[in-house]
Amino acid sequence: MKSITQISSVIAATSVVLAACSGGGSTGSNEPIKVGAIYDLTGATSDIGQFGAKGTTAYFEWKNANGGIGGRKIDFKSADYEYKVPKAEELYTQFVTQDKAIVFIGWGTGDTEALRPKITADKVPFVSASYAATLANPKETPYNFLVAPSYSDQLVIAQQYALDQWKKDGKSGQPKFAYLINNSPFGKSPVEAGKAHAKANGLAEPLEVPSQGPTADHTPQLTQIKDYGATHVFLQNVPSPPSKTLKDAKTLGLIGKVQFVCLNYCAHELTIKLAGDAAEGLWGIIPFSIDADGAKVPLEYAKSKGINIAGGESGYVQGWYAAAIIMEGVERTVKANKPLTGENIKASMEGLKDFATGGVTQPITFTDTDHRGTRSTRMGRVAGGKWVTEPALLKSSLP
Amino acid sequence: MQSGVFHTNYAKDMQLRPTWVMRARLVLLIAFLVIFPFVASVYWLNLANQIMLFSITAVGLNLLIGFTGQISIGHAAFVALGAYTAALLSTRLNIPFPLDVPFAMIVAGLVGLIFGLPSARLKGLYLAIATLAAQEIVLWFLKHLDLFVPNVGESISLVPTWAHEQFLSTRARADFNYYWVILFFLSLVVIFSVNLVRSRVGRAFVAVRDQDIAAQVIGVDVNRTKLIAFMVSSMIAGLSGALIAHYRGIVNWERFTVDTSVAVLSMLIIGGLGRVSGSIYGAIFVTVLPALLTQFGLLFRDILPDVNRIIPYVQQGAFGLAIIFFLIKEPEGIAKMWKDVKDYFRLWPFSY
Repeated sequence: MKSITQISSVIAATSVVLAACSGGGSTGSNEPIKVGAIYDLTGATSDIGQFGAKGTTAYFEWKNANGGIGGRKIDFKSADYEYKVPKAEELYTQFVTQDKAIVFIGWGTGDTEALRPKITADKVPFVSASYAATLANPKETPYNFLVAPSYSDQLVIAQQYALDQWKKDGKSGQPKFAYLINNSPFGKSPVEAGKAHAKANGLAEPLEVPSQGPTADHTPQLTQIKDYGATHVFLQNVPSPPSKTLKDAKTLGLIGKVQFVCLNYCAHELTIKLAGDAAEGLWGIIPFSIDADGAKVPLEYAKSKGINIAGGESGYVQGWYAAAIIMEGVERTVKANKPLTGENIKASMEGLKDFATGGVTQPITFTDTDHRGTRSTRMGRVAGGKWVTEPALLKSSLP
Repeated sequence: MQSGVFHTNYAKDMQLRPTWVMRARLVLLIAFLVIFPFVASVYWLNLANQIMLFSITAVGLNLLIGFTGQISIGHAAFVALGAYTAALLSTRLNIPFPLDVPFAMIVAGLVGLIFGLPSARLKGLYLAIATLAAQEIVLWFLKHLDLFVPNVGESISLVPTWAHEQFLSTRARADFNYYWVILFFLSLVVIFSVNLVRSRVGRAFVAVRDQDIAAQVIGVDVNRTKLIAFMVSSMIAGLSGALIAHYRGIVNWERFTVDTSVAVLSMLIIGGLGRVSGSIYGAIFVTVLPALLTQFGLLFRDILPDVNRIIPYVQQGAFGLAIIFFLIKEPEGIAKMWKDVKDYFRLWPFSY
């Protein structure tokens, strides 16, 4: 009779869930503001995903503890989606289509891309941790917002930085670039813009190599890069795989001969923690500064609540500000006494001009033709086991 | 009282549903499927569609693994081919939805045929690895599609065609409308498969699975049979892919990685290899179990915040546990369990 008991328990569980799901309804003036989010806690990018999740959750808890938005509480729902597209669709359907979340916080490039048609049809302002340039054009994705420079902007900034440094050092000849990227839409996203920038500067076409996972041997890829004669290797990945790359590069004696440069997800505390002294001298794009004044509130909140963010402070602050920026759009809509519709929140977001995040990011500006919040960022270098941010503000030359 | 089901002529012997209990169950099932979309919330509609799409793929794969005994762990590749074919035909050549489906099936079927060729020489684990290679090769091709098709980005967005405008209407109703479309195709696939395995070809499938040398001795063309199985199951996978492309409105290869292939494989193991209904039970189980666990976490998020934090890991563990449980307790899967239940009641109260 085991089967019968099993079936009946499943039915019981289903009915409990159905009853719980049937809530929802209209948004009155004092009703909570519904927000949905998906996290990667167990999937391919969970190494940093867990910190972003903590940051976003902490922001909403903090915001509610401080009176919510215009006296209204935020009803915040989130779940792990394992970095899987169908799971993301399932949760999006639940939180947005069914529970009527008015804004959504996503995560990866693949799932944000997959949700594009739905986001546009549902008119849900959407901020994800993906900074793919394809999500920044309101003509195609009118409800997606980027809170950092796009990956394409980042790569162009990093390449320009490398070129300037090359000249400054008085080196002869020309640098040769290679890309070691996560084998996914996330990894490939900036490649085209990078190649165009290299071409415009008269450089050889950069070599594009897909990266192995964090447990594999990276020697074949590094050998390929070495044979190509690259002077700079740009890493577009989450921290674990590049850490292995750096360790293998050290074994091969490449550190010091070849300059490794991280885009934002690899320019992370975790990379240093995992790669150890092989990370010394690494360059990276630092769009979220944890030393800025604006980072004090999130970091102190984590300390007071005992949230463990050791080794992932920047991811935590990033998750916090991704939520904070989109909620600023909501807050402005509430203050203007407009109904909380997707169109109104979008309009409020597009009204953000030089919105200050206490120096954590560059001032955020959205317009109705450009949803990149900023095109500027700073570079950092690893020295003494820490990211040291350089003062110069660099702006992308991409239109 | 009857002591069993006995047939007195061949026509009765061939009936798919010989007893009135079976027919009554079928009527109930149809009634449920018809009423379901009207009472279910969007969340469950989306889940039901996902289950049905997985079911189509799983039924197809079951023909290959469960009936013909040829292991394939790269089946998501053929789903991907179907999805990309449908997406390209509809965006580049403006071929509307119902018409690009057969093309998607043909492309997936032909490529499946090519990757089925090693089965002439390879068996068991070696064939499994060959199909894994198929997965990687096809995905590499799709990742580098821009080398073959100009101006293809990382994902292909399907602009709503006339079919969407006329019949499937706006995206807001897509879940409801596509429920019927997917249900229609799933029914076709199930009816086709159930009948195929009773035909000459289907008997040949089973003969090859059970003992290929014996099959050859009694006159079955083993290589041809294997290739038919590869092609048919890839075609069905292509159908599922085409439906995914139109339903989701965007195609991206990240959906069709080896993870998906393994998920479909586990559906077969959990549901029951060699039974068409087993593929569907498996698809339901593998999709609904994690969903229920997530719901469970959301339900208790205010009362026990820690539960929500643990759920994701429980979810992964539960999946592994389910597979181990079925391998040990019931290798023939849910389909067999369901049969045991039915047998128990058929002879109740005087079972022996």
